[in-house]
Amino acid sequence: MHSTLVRAQNVFGFFTTVAFCVAAVIALSVVVSPQTPSASVKLRNVQVVRGRPHYYSYKKEEYAHIKFDLDTDLTSLFNWNTKQVFVYLKAIYPSLKASEPPSEAIIWDAILGSPSAPWHQNHYIHPNPKSPKSSSKKSSKSSKPSAEPLYPPGELHLQNQRPKYQITDISGKLQNRTDVVLELGWNVQPWVGALVWANKADWGIWEGLKGGVSERFRLPEIKGARKVDVSTEKGGESNRGKPA
Amino acid sequence: MADQLLDQVRDVLEGQIDFDGQRLAELITTVLLGAAGFLAFFLGFMAQDIRLTLWIGLVGTVFTFVVVVPPWPFFNKNPITWLPPHNAISGLDINIDGKKAG
Repeated sequence: MHSTLVRAQNVFGFFTTVAFCVAAVIALSVVVSPQTPSASVKLRNVQVVRGRPHYYSYKKEEYAHIKFDLDTDLTSLFNWNTKQVFVYLKAIYPSLKASEPPSEAIIWDAILGSPSAPWHQNHYIHPNPKSPKSSSKKSSKSSKPSAEPLYPPGELHLQNQRPKYQITDISGKLQNRTDVVLELGWNVQPWVGALVWANKADWGIWEGLKGGVSERFRLPEIKGARKVDVSTEKGGESNRGKPA
Repeated sequence: MADQLLDQVRDVLEGQIDFDGQRLAELITTVLLGAAGFLAFFLGFMAQDIRLTLWIGLVGTVFTFVVVVPPWPFFNKNPITWLPPHNAISGLDINIDGKKAG
């Protein structure tokens, strides 16, 4: 500590130690905040269509287009150390061979930003069921933080929600599959600490997810020539790399 | 003249403090940074606001730098009183061929 340089090095060195210790304590502190997540998922409509993975592909694949209702209460996942929660809805169906594990594919997802996180264009903005559909296009450009959120973070009430992704199987065949379920999952991303995924079992004062799985359903046969609505929803992240 | 100026510049940049000041600087570093870290977590957790934790920690660290790094006068209150320069052979009277040496 005899000269300016040595003192600066000493202070900075001890600062890194303190910063690491505080971060470690913050990461551990989340175990004392109780979690009681619950959700209900209902199938609304499912259709299977034939299509190609991209425009120049000769391969035809079968795509499932699943509409759903989703009600969640994940507000207890937002503690003081939560940066954002990535919520996703998986379709799970048995593989063609019994020896293989079931296939899982995400049909819808959202990034729920915490109140402590600065505004970001990829954060999910809950659709307002009262606002007419036509005006949502215009307001989406100007729906910056000025708009008060409809529900507290983690609460979702989606009716007849279109999927973000159409799903297909590795075999390319998806019609007439049975025992399909929709399951809610999430990933809590903290400011400091460990990523935590959805959990069914209780762990301390963190209760497991209540509900969050739909009833079993069957993927229908491919519709004939009749036109079906297979439009998908776009999230904010589709703006990436494009001017606002 | 230039040497004197350079010596002054070097003294300011080096910022040397005495031994008691060094012990004091060490103590202040530990106490201030430790307190800043503790307060940052405690107050942030009470307010459930992680930004508060961040800012208390950073402000406390900057404050510690300001207090410890410059050679403040209170680090130089107990300067060492060195013995006067002493040459082992200065007391001797050496005479070589009628000329004084040493």
